[in-house]
Amino acid sequence: MEEKRYVLDLRGEPCPYPVVYSLQVLAELESGSLLEILADCPQSFKSVPEEVVKAGYEMAEPPQKIGPTLRFLVRKP
Amino acid sequence: MGEIVRSYYRKVVADFWDQKTVVILLGILSGLYFGAVGVVWAVTGEFTRWGASFLKLIGVDLSPYTYLKIIKYKGTILTRIDGVMVLGMFAGALIAALFGQNFKLRIPTAKRVIQALVGGIIAGFGTRLAMGCNLAALFTGIPQFSLHTWFFTLGTIFGTYIGIKITLSPYFRGEPKLVKASEFNAGNLKANTQIQPFLGWLGLIVFAGILLSRPEMPNILKLATIFGFAFGFLIQKGQVCFTSAFRDLWLVGRTTTLKALVWGMAVQMLLTAVFIAKGTPAKVLWAGPNALIGGLLFGIGIVIAGGCETGWMYRSMEGQVHFWFVGLGNVIGATLLFLLWDKGLYKYLVEPFPKFSLIEHFGYLPAIILTGLFLLGLYLWADLRELSGRSMIKNKTMAVRRV
Repeated sequence: MEEKRYVLDLRGEPCPYPVVYSLQVLAELESGSLLEILADCPQSFKSVPEEVVKAGYEMAEPPQKIGPTLRFLVRKP
Repeated sequence: MGEIVRSYYRKVVADFWDQKTVVILLGILSGLYFGAVGVVWAVTGEFTRWGASFLKLIGVDLSPYTYLKIIKYKGTILTRIDGVMVLGMFAGALIAALFGQNFKLRIPTAKRVIQALVGGIIAGFGTRLAMGCNLAALFTGIPQFSLHTWFFTLGTIFGTYIGIKITLSPYFRGEPKLVKASEFNAGNLKANTQIQPFLGWLGLIVFAGILLSRPEMPNILKLATIFGFAFGFLIQKGQVCFTSAFRDLWLVGRTTTLKALVWGMAVQMLLTAVFIAKGTPAKVLWAGPNALIGGLLFGIGIVIAGGCETGWMYRSMEGQVHFWFVGLGNVIGATLLFLLWDKGLYKYLVEPFPKFSLIEHFGYLPAIILTGLFLLGLYLWADLRELSGRSMIKNKTMAVRRV
């Protein structure tokens, strides 16, 4: 079965919306989905991956920083 | 060898720094700043003076406003300790942002601009009512053993809770747009920001050059500028967002920042205790309802705005246009406060209440112990909240738009 893939582009949103939106969207996704989150609020670099993991999701890849852009790949188990 | 140097350079210059380390460094530096310059690290008094200068410029007679005497309004931004310190902070935050390639003009939506302005005004008003922000009434205030900072902190804790309720309300929360994708963007994300670290180094040279080329500038102002630079550099590198300390604890039980702040204050307190014992006068202010109400408004305002008085300073230097409006809001709010100060605020909320120093009332050692217990209380509250596993983000807090 192919895993479902989604993209959540939060570039331009200030804190706390990246964390809030990420958790909210992950809660609604089907099990086994992969979610790519893009953000550019620097604080999110730590807060998004840490809170996502705390809420029970998995980081499929380590957080990436491409210039000011942040990219997270999260799996919902 | 080259690889070791490169990885070291990346860690020190390019990457973010560990937040707790940064906050402890900030605690040490603010303690030393108090000892060296004789004032606490604070920014909103200066914002108020900007508002006053603007009104003066458009012809308003400032003589009736007694608040300006309390905050010693005179001179210009370049002749005031707080003034050059704030300029130093902007420079430090900008250079730190460039080093890490974090500068990007981020243009907010109209709704977020309103949020930034309104939140900024509420926070600016509250903070000046209480006589200090997350710095002088909290991070650098609690280590001054002034009771009003405890009231302010409690007010802020409740204020941030109310602020979240407003931020997550249907009007402000917005709607995350979820896109079903066949491909991820990983490969397409490119940054043309490699020039930024060079600009950062250039900026550092210019900054040093300006200080070195002004022999007439008093040493105390130079020192304040350098401290300001370090403060600004550190808050950007450590992403020290005081707003998130309380907000994210309520929101998702995130304790990282609040715990770091407690550590920073504990270390700082030991330094300020030494300087106070040596004769530097502590900053003690009215422990009245003004501090509690001010803290409450401050807490509400910073969460709506997304950042407090130091938060907008480093974020504005990262190119987050949203936070330019928070700063503008802060100045407007602080200005409103000094205009209204003599219209009853001082008489009813401030004047009847004492400037309560823990040292004067309980003695030197008990004051240190009491402050230590207060800090411990904050730390334990954070832990309990985290352990309770409570979160304010419920299923269906908001609609997700699927595309």
